[in-house]
Amino acid sequence: MENEGNGNCSIFGMGIEGSEMNCFFNTNSMDQKDLFESALSSIVSSPSNSHHAVQFPCVGVGGGGESIVLRELIGRLGSICNSSEINGNNSSNNSCYNTPLNSPPKVVNMSITGHHQFPVDPSRFSTFGGKNELSHVIESGKLSRVSSNQSFKKMNKLSMELDESSVSETETGTGNGIGVKGQSNNANGRKRKVVAKGKGKETNAKDDKVVTEVEKEESDAKRSKSNEEKKSNEKSTEPPKDYIHVRARRGQATDSHSLAERVRREKISERMKFLQDLVPGCNKVTGKAVMLDEIINYVQSLQRQVEFLSMKLATVNPRMDASMEALLSKDMFQPQVSMPNIANPFDTSAQSFPYGFQSQLNGMVPDRPENQFSMNPLMAAMHRNSVIKPPHIDGFIEASTLWENDLQSVVKMALGQDQSQGFLGQMKVEL
Amino acid sequence: MSPNEQPTSINPNANANALKIRLAYRFLHNLNNLNTKRSNLDNTRINRRSHRVKIAAYASMASVVGSRRAWSRSILWKIKKQGVLSRNKKRVDRVTSTLHRHHHVHLGSKRRSRNPKREYYVDPFGNSGQEVKLRKLVPGVEMMNACALLDETADYIKCLATQVEVMKTLVDLYSTI
Repeated sequence: MENEGNGNCSIFGMGIEGSEMNCFFNTNSMDQKDLFESALSSIVSSPSNSHHAVQFPCVGVGGGGESIVLRELIGRLGSICNSSEINGNNSSNNSCYNTPLNSPPKVVNMSITGHHQFPVDPSRFSTFGGKNELSHVIESGKLSRVSSNQSFKKMNKLSMELDESSVSETETGTGNGIGVKGQSNNANGRKRKVVAKGKGKETNAKDDKVVTEVEKEESDAKRSKSNEEKKSNEKSTEPPKDYIHVRARRGQATDSHSLAERVRREKISERMKFLQDLVPGCNKVTGKAVMLDEIINYVQSLQRQVEFLSMKLATVNPRMDASMEALLSKDMFQPQVSMPNIANPFDTSAQSFPYGFQSQLNGMVPDRPENQFSMNPLMAAMHRNSVIKPPHIDGFIEASTLWENDLQSVVKMALGQDQSQGFLGQMKVEL
Repeated sequence: MSPNEQPTSINPNANANALKIRLAYRFLHNLNNLNTKRSNLDNTRINRRSHRVKIAAYASMASVVGSRRAWSRSILWKIKKQGVLSRNKKRVDRVTSTLHRHHHVHLGSKRRSRNPKREYYVDPFGNSGQEVKLRKLVPGVEMMNACALLDETADYIKCLATQVEVMKTLVDLYSTI
């Protein structure tokens, strides 16, 4: 029976007892039907308050009579959260529930905090109840994407034909702030309390408990009602601790090994997401296997490129002067000082690195501002060695819109003041 | 990573630029050393020179990162070992070589003992061969668990991509001069 301090409620202990239900209500105190209506309306119109707990259907009903209705609603909600079965077919959802879901269950832990920002991966996590917290996060994100305004309007109907309305409810309900803040911010988004950013681990633990229990609730409601006691039993309150709070999910092994495994799997998935950003062209890739293949290919291609470029450099590399070496060794650490001055354009160079190697042996410098960095000291030195011809410099300059900024910052440190002035003057003239 | 996006969204540009600049400088420095050290630069075959350039590239990449990462440590270690052994081959001093070999062995074991613990778990990737391939590609991750492996891979990819960019611009620069 968790009642969040901030007054948000969630479908915990959807027990049969009405008293239990009362714990989870919002501060609204209405009669039963009004509660139901208010809950649904809150779902519809709940503002995005990320700091609140799950504003899940506060469909608490006061009496025992409504509990059945409520349970049914929640069951349907939970079952409908299954993205693959959003047709709202209870029977099919039932079967869905009983079948083990795809990836191993994930622990509802503080990693939710991290996960809720991740792009959802719907193909990997297709089911909602009682399974991966990531899955439900992702699922909710997907659902929120899926949920259009149409499903939203249905939510406004307080009809008990839960098939569609509950579908929309779950869709919007699970449409959480996870990475879809835009959606959750509008009236459609019912924020699932999957932890806003910046939450500490303790609050995460609490949130995770909330989420876990919510999921448990839904899954349980769908299952036989005799299991409801188990729900409350499993859902023992645990004091928030400072370490990673891991909870066993319903129906999963609770030994420490499984928990640790789940934590580890979550970490791995986190890092896979990070790698997805690094490796270009992997945004659509889903699944660890394909992702790993892409990563391996990328690393291999990068290494091959290094080899190829080193061969090129070996053939093209002229004898460097001693002045160049002195220049470089003298100014090697200065770039770090001038970093703040340098503008942004170079940032995405690493990320926008083309996957395939493009031979750039033409005379024109590629149109990337970051070239200026490595070229500036060389060009400066070349200037002093009187090799560079103006046309090349024109090409360089035209290629970059931020030449001057970079030049000033880098050349100054590379050349020294007097030479940089002359260099700059020359550059500016040619501009 | 999403939770890190907020703090790093302000700085990724700065970080990438700083890395690139450091890489560029260090690589050029190493190239210079390479060129000036070898007196027969013009005469040596391109293969050897390219090999040396490649080593210089990896060495500069690893030295910029320093000892923070396992892959950089591994690269620096390998290069150092190669340098020492090649020097020892030329010398007739066997005592020195054996001493160095013991030193290498000791350091190697010490390096390995940093990550002795392997969590017993089902292969998290669930795919045979991929993880092994990745371990072969990224230096210094043999003894790591999957989590750290992915970490190292990410850092390695980042630095490799930056290094490739630096080299590309260098090639362009040289080809246009």
